[in-house]
Amino acid sequence: MSKIRRSIHEMYALERFSAGGTAIHGLHPAAKLFSAMFFIVTVVSFDRYSLLSLTPYAFYPAILMALSETPCGMLLRRFLIALPFCLFAGLSNLVFDRAPAFALGGLAVSFGALSLAALLLRAYLCVMAALILVATTRMGEITGQLRRLHAPAALVVMLELTYRYIGVLLDEAGSMRAAYLLRGGRRGIEMRHMGSFVGGLVVRSFDRAERVYAAMKCRGYDMRERRASPRALSARDLAFAASVAVPCALFRVFPIGAMASALAGG
Amino acid sequence: MHMADALISPAVGGVMYAASAAAIAYSTAKIKNDTLCEKRVPVMGVAGALVFAGQMINFTIPATGSSGHIGGGMLLAGLIGGPAALLAISAVLIIQCLFFADGGLLALGCNVFNMGVVPCLLVYPLLFRRIAARWAGHRGIAAASIVSVVVSLQIGAFGVVIETLASGVTALPFAAFAALMQPIHLAIGVVEGIVTAAILCFVYGARPEIIESAGKGTRIGGGVPIKKVVAALAVVTIATGGLLALFASSYPDGLEWSIEGVTGAAELEAGGAAFEGAAAIQEATAFMPDYGFAGDDPPPVGTSVAGIAGGALTLLLAGGTGLIISRAKARKKQAA
Repeated sequence: MSKIRRSIHEMYALERFSAGGTAIHGLHPAAKLFSAMFFIVTVVSFDRYSLLSLTPYAFYPAILMALSETPCGMLLRRFLIALPFCLFAGLSNLVFDRAPAFALGGLAVSFGALSLAALLLRAYLCVMAALILVATTRMGEITGQLRRLHAPAALVVMLELTYRYIGVLLDEAGSMRAAYLLRGGRRGIEMRHMGSFVGGLVVRSFDRAERVYAAMKCRGYDMRERRASPRALSARDLAFAASVAVPCALFRVFPIGAMASALAGG
Repeated sequence: MHMADALISPAVGGVMYAASAAAIAYSTAKIKNDTLCEKRVPVMGVAGALVFAGQMINFTIPATGSSGHIGGGMLLAGLIGGPAALLAISAVLIIQCLFFADGGLLALGCNVFNMGVVPCLLVYPLLFRRIAARWAGHRGIAAASIVSVVVSLQIGAFGVVIETLASGVTALPFAAFAALMQPIHLAIGVVEGIVTAAILCFVYGARPEIIESAGKGTRIGGGVPIKKVVAALAVVTIATGGLLALFASSYPDGLEWSIEGVTGAAELEAGGAAFEGAAAIQEATAFMPDYGFAGDDPPPVGTSVAGIAGGALTLLLAGGTGLIISRAKARKKQAA
C-alpha cells in the first residue's frame, strides 16, 4: 500500500518540478533532449578504466541541477534504485580483474577497483542526465517533441495515455489491496489469489478505458493530430546545446584528467 | 532485468536501438492495418499502466517466504496481441527510465528488445499462439502462458548477458555470467508463468472476447509476416553492426592495442612465468587506448596520487560550482 502510494507520489513529484520557471525550463525541448543524449553517449563511449577522464563531466549535472533549482536529494535517491545491477557487474570486476594498475601510497590498486569506480561514476552521470531532463521538461513537451521527430503516432499516444492512466490504475490497485488485506490477508497477496486479483483489475480497467476514450472522442480527440510547434529554436536554445556539446566533445578528444596525470608523472 | 546506461557501449546501444526501432515500426504498421485499431487505442493505453501497476503488487510465494511481482510482457501480449503489447511495453519502459531511473536512456533499445520484442513479437506468435490453439479453453491458455513466459525470460536474460559482455564494461567471464543469470530467471519465469496463466484464465472466464480478439488481431497468415520481421531485424542488425564496426576500427581501439601489445611482447625473448605475467598485465592494459597510466611499467607513486587528487579536486569543484550557483539564486530570490 505505502509502496504504491509512494510511487505515485514520486512520479508526479518530478512533474511538479518540471513545471518550474527557470531559464533551463524555458529552453526548447529539442535542445534539452539533444544535450542529454549527447552527454550520455560521450560519457558511455569512454572505455572501462577511464576514471579521471570522466571527472570533468560531473560539472554537467551539478550546474544544471543548480540552475534549474532541482533538489539533488530527490534525484540521488532515484540514482540508488539504478545502482544494484551496476554494483554487481562492478564488484565482479574486483574479483576477475586483479592485475595491479598502479600503487597508491604503497597499496596496489587493481584494474578491477579502477573499473568499479569508473562504472559507478558513469552510472551516476547517465542517470542524472536523464532525470534532469524530465525534471525540467514537461511530459507534454517531450511527447510533442517526439511527434515532431516523426516517432510513430501510436507509440506517442501510448506514452501519453500510459502516463495519464498510471496514477488512476495505481490508485485502484492500492484500494483493492487495502480491501484484500482488511479481509484477512497477512503480509501480502497470496500467489493463488493473484489470478483473480489482477484479472479483476484488468477487466475493470479495460471497461474504464473504453468509457474514457468514448468521452475523449466526443470532445474531438484525434490520435494523429500533430500539434503546432510551440516556437522555433532560438539563439539561446542553440547556445545551450552548443555549451553542452562542445565541452563534452573536447573532453572526449582531449581527456584532460588522464593527460594531466601523465604530465605530472612524465 | 533493466539494463543501465553505464553497462553498455554506444555501439551496442545503437545496434539495439535500431533493432527495437524496426520492431516498433513493424508493430505500428501492423496496428494501422488492423480494422479494430480505433477500438483498441484506449485498451492499449490502459494496458501499459496495468503492467506498471502489476509490478507494484507484490505477492507471497508459497513455501519460500519470499515475494515476487509480475513482469508483464507475455501477459500484455495475451491481453491485447503482440504488436500492441510491444508498443505498451515500450511506453512503460520509457516512463520507468525517465521517471524512476530504472534502465538507462541509451540502454532503452536493449531493454525494449529483451523485455518487449522477445516476448511480444517472437515468443507470442511462435509459441503462445500455437500451444493455445492446440488445446481450446483454459488448459491451452495456462500451458501456453507458463511455457512462453519461461522461454521469453530465458531468451531475455541471455540477451542481457550478450549485450553486457559485448559492451566490454565488465570483466565477468561469459560462462560465469550466464550460469548466474539463466537459473535465476528460470525460477522467476516459472513463478511469473503460473501467475500470468492464472490472470489470463480469469480474464478468459470473465471476458472471453478480450483474449480471443487479441489472438485475431495478430493472426499470422501462413507465417509470412513473422518471417519478414525476423529477416528485417537480421538485416538491420547486421548492417548497423557492420557500419559501426567500420567506424569504430578507424580509431585506435582495444583490438589494435592488444595486437600491439602482443607484437611488442614478442620481441622480448623471455619465457616462463615472468613473460606470462607481463603478457597478462599487457592484456589488461590493452583496453586503455588514450590513457596516461597505461604503460609497461607501473608509474611512480607520485603520478597516481597526483592523478587521484586531481580527479577528486575536479569532482569537488563541480559540486562546489553547483552549490555556489544555487546559493546565488537563493540570495537573489530573497532580495527580490
